[in-house]
Amino acid sequence: MLLEIESLTKSFGGVHAVRNCTFAVPEGQVLGLIGPNGAGKSTVVDLVSGFGQPDSGRVRFAGESIVGKRADVISRLGLIRTFQAPREWRNLTVMDNVLLGRRRFADESVWRCLTRARRIRRAEEADRAAVRAILERFQLAELRNELAVRLSGGQKRLLEFARVAAAEARLIILDEPMGGVNPVLGVRIGEAVRQFAAEGRTVIVVEHNLPFIESTCQQVVVMDLGEVIAQGPFSGLRDNPRVVDAYLGMDQSHG
Amino acid sequence: MYWVSVFTEAGIFAILALGLDVVWGWTGDFDLAFYGYLALGSYMTFVLTIGKPTPPVEYIIGWHLPVLLSIVLAIVVVVGFAAVIGAIALRNLRGIYFAVTTLGAVSAMYLLVENYTPLFDGFNGVYGLVNPGQTALNLTYNGYRIAFGVVVLIVLFLAYLLVQRLSRSPFGRMLRSVREDERAAAAYGRQVFWAKYRSYLFGAALAGLTGGLFAIFVSAFNPSAWTPQELLVIYAAILVGGRGNPRGVILGTFVVYVGFIELTRYLPSPASRPDFGPALRQVLIGLMIILMLRFRPEGVFRERPGVDSEREPARPLPSDAVGALAPAATGGPGVPGVPGVPEGQAADDGGSS
Amino acid sequence: MNTFLVTVGVGLATAAILALSAVAFTLEYAVSRIANFAHGEFLTIGAYVAYSTQGIFHENVAAAAVIAAAAGAAAGLVLNVLVIEQFRGRSAITVLIATLGVALIAENVLTMIYGAANVTYSFAQGNLHHVGPFLWTTSDIEVIISALVVAGLIYLLLQRTRFGKAIRAVSQDRALAQVSGIPARRIIMQTWALAGAVAGFAGFAYAATIGTFGPLLGFNFLLLTITATVAGGLGRPYATLGGALIVGLAIQIAGTYTSSAYELVFAFLLLVLLMLFRPNGVFVRRSSVAVRA
Repeated sequence: MLLEIESLTKSFGGVHAVRNCTFAVPEGQVLGLIGPNGAGKSTVVDLVSGFGQPDSGRVRFAGESIVGKRADVISRLGLIRTFQAPREWRNLTVMDNVLLGRRRFADESVWRCLTRARRIRRAEEADRAAVRAILERFQLAELRNELAVRLSGGQKRLLEFARVAAAEARLIILDEPMGGVNPVLGVRIGEAVRQFAAEGRTVIVVEHNLPFIESTCQQVVVMDLGEVIAQGPFSGLRDNPRVVDAYLGMDQSHG
Repeated sequence: MYWVSVFTEAGIFAILALGLDVVWGWTGDFDLAFYGYLALGSYMTFVLTIGKPTPPVEYIIGWHLPVLLSIVLAIVVVVGFAAVIGAIALRNLRGIYFAVTTLGAVSAMYLLVENYTPLFDGFNGVYGLVNPGQTALNLTYNGYRIAFGVVVLIVLFLAYLLVQRLSRSPFGRMLRSVREDERAAAAYGRQVFWAKYRSYLFGAALAGLTGGLFAIFVSAFNPSAWTPQELLVIYAAILVGGRGNPRGVILGTFVVYVGFIELTRYLPSPASRPDFGPALRQVLIGLMIILMLRFRPEGVFRERPGVDSEREPARPLPSDAVGALAPAATGGPGVPGVPGVPEGQAADDGGSS
Repeated sequence: MNTFLVTVGVGLATAAILALSAVAFTLEYAVSRIANFAHGEFLTIGAYVAYSTQGIFHENVAAAAVIAAAAGAAAGLVLNVLVIEQFRGRSAITVLIATLGVALIAENVLTMIYGAANVTYSFAQGNLHHVGPFLWTTSDIEVIISALVVAGLIYLLLQRTRFGKAIRAVSQDRALAQVSGIPARRIIMQTWALAGAVAGFAGFAYAATIGTFGPLLGFNFLLLTITATVAGGLGRPYATLGGALIVGLAIQIAGTYTSSAYELVFAFLLLVLLMLFRPNGVFVRRSSVAVRA
């Protein structure tokens, strides 16, 4: 199991956003995390990736406990997450945005940049070549010297995927990647997820778009009101009364 | 000689502006303590060079070191001080809160220096560092001033090279990503606090250096020489020249210091009111700040992100045409930025709000 | 014990002025979501205009106070229309820098008009009175009473009038308030005029207390104002009063036991401490750790 979540709990001012959440993700799997609004999915993502502290529970990544660790520490361990709205670095170029996804942290020191500039530039060439290839894949190569702020909404989504691809992560968590995405772009995103899986990466997709989940995910975890209410392949969910109830009951009980 | 003095002063403050731009322009932290670092650098240079105080004058230390060594030590002290303030202020505070905290810290320091005379002789300040080494170098007074001016410009040039190299390096790129979006930077493994901290200390080091040079330039230093308002003039220079653009920052400093001084020289100042002219200059600077912020916050020279150029582009890309002018081998330095990138709110409202 | 209470008494007078300035600052923040670093200039302008007109009403304190308030109100309006509204939608830091520019302009215009040297009021300080354990001059008493009165009026204004409700609505969500039929722009302008008036009055009171002042009167008081506002919690007028009380007393007491010159040093150290541990105000039960303004 690459990621193990056990009894994760988090409240905000008396409201249980996440309650006793437990599930595990084996390496190489594409897992969907679904549920109606307010189910706690994004909170779980935040807690796992270090953007929030759980009240209680355990999280293990590749056997190592990561509860309470800072977001950047968890990221360096190989866990990359996206945000619901694309968070590109607006006044940097597309190239720089994706380059920053590479894990070349040691070279980002004042001393090294001043004393070994030439060597760093040479070493960076390999990264740049890789990034250019990634940009080709996502059809952003022509825009690589454009400031990210000037991209269209769809291009920003693709930029985010390119950045994720550049990071070569072990576990990728995509937080509502299909938000506001047109069907054509949706196909490309689906391909990107499948490509990640083909490379052996583990992916968790948090989504509302159920057809997308169906076509990309092998297993699905369903949450409602902060709790996990079902796990299993997508096909089985349709017959699960709790799942149906959660989605259908949305209008009445969840307001 | 007047012009020598003007350009020397502008050169000194250009170095300060470069340092402040690293903190504000690249990293996005609006700091109000920087002039305190300059002051501390000046004070330390004095008390390490001019020897023991003769009562009733009092100040700490009072060694007789060669002035260059004093400046180096002064920089160390300043960075130490900035390390404390930065550690406090940068951990969790951003935007207004960060600005206010740094203002509080530097104001406390200012008042302490002003009132606790054993430190730096309170309101009287320190003095007596007149052209250190002039006799040893066998120069006249004016000769020394000219030579010092040249030295300042050389130091400025070296500082510029250093800063420019840093700006185009992975460190510079990483700082800007922190400025633009801290959460995303953290999500990709960047230690946000350490990034801001290192940038802060680097800037403070430049401020300390500026302090040392300024000490030689003015030969006396007291609290009336430094107030938060002085720092605003530097910010004006950065705003005009171009936030995040080292060349622009230097240009902006010269415009403000040389241009504005010249401009107000020709403005009338009633004989009974010697403070009229300088006050008018400040008014114009204040106006300039507001107008630049309102209409052109990125400055005259925009921040120029590095252009990626390949050895053999697969197809001619319009933005690459400029990049092709530079040595293609490793996309070397000095690659001009993409011209004509309109608006983009470059580096103004990003990140730190 | 006696000296301590006298100290407390002086601290109360300081706190009263600080409270006025801080409430005005907080109103500006509440309604426009910005830190107005030109706020101190409202005080300075109020003080100077009262100085210029002190002969007209034969050193009548009440008249001077009204004039100072009027000048402050005008300054508030001008700042709002010419600067704040021009920077709508920009980041808070951008507006802060712009207000710093305004402060620079204001201080130096005053220098151009009045000179950089200090000026002195010719208002009478009044005799010392024993009020219980406290020792106050007549003007001290007037200041404290007027501060209480103004604070009370502002309370009534915010809680009981439609104007006050409108201010609260706009401070929560300008767009929503506008859509609900509240003339947001007009309310904001009026709030700034009010804040400016209170600040102008505070400036006059402050200058009257110290007797002699210069163009940097208000700016030096700004940091103290911010400290009091932060202590109470940005944007909360009532808590701000408490904050002003705490700050005013704290620095007075600390200053007495070391030296009055260090009063402000303590104030600023207090500010730094507040920023670190209680950035949302002393009265908040749990403050959030990361304050991204």
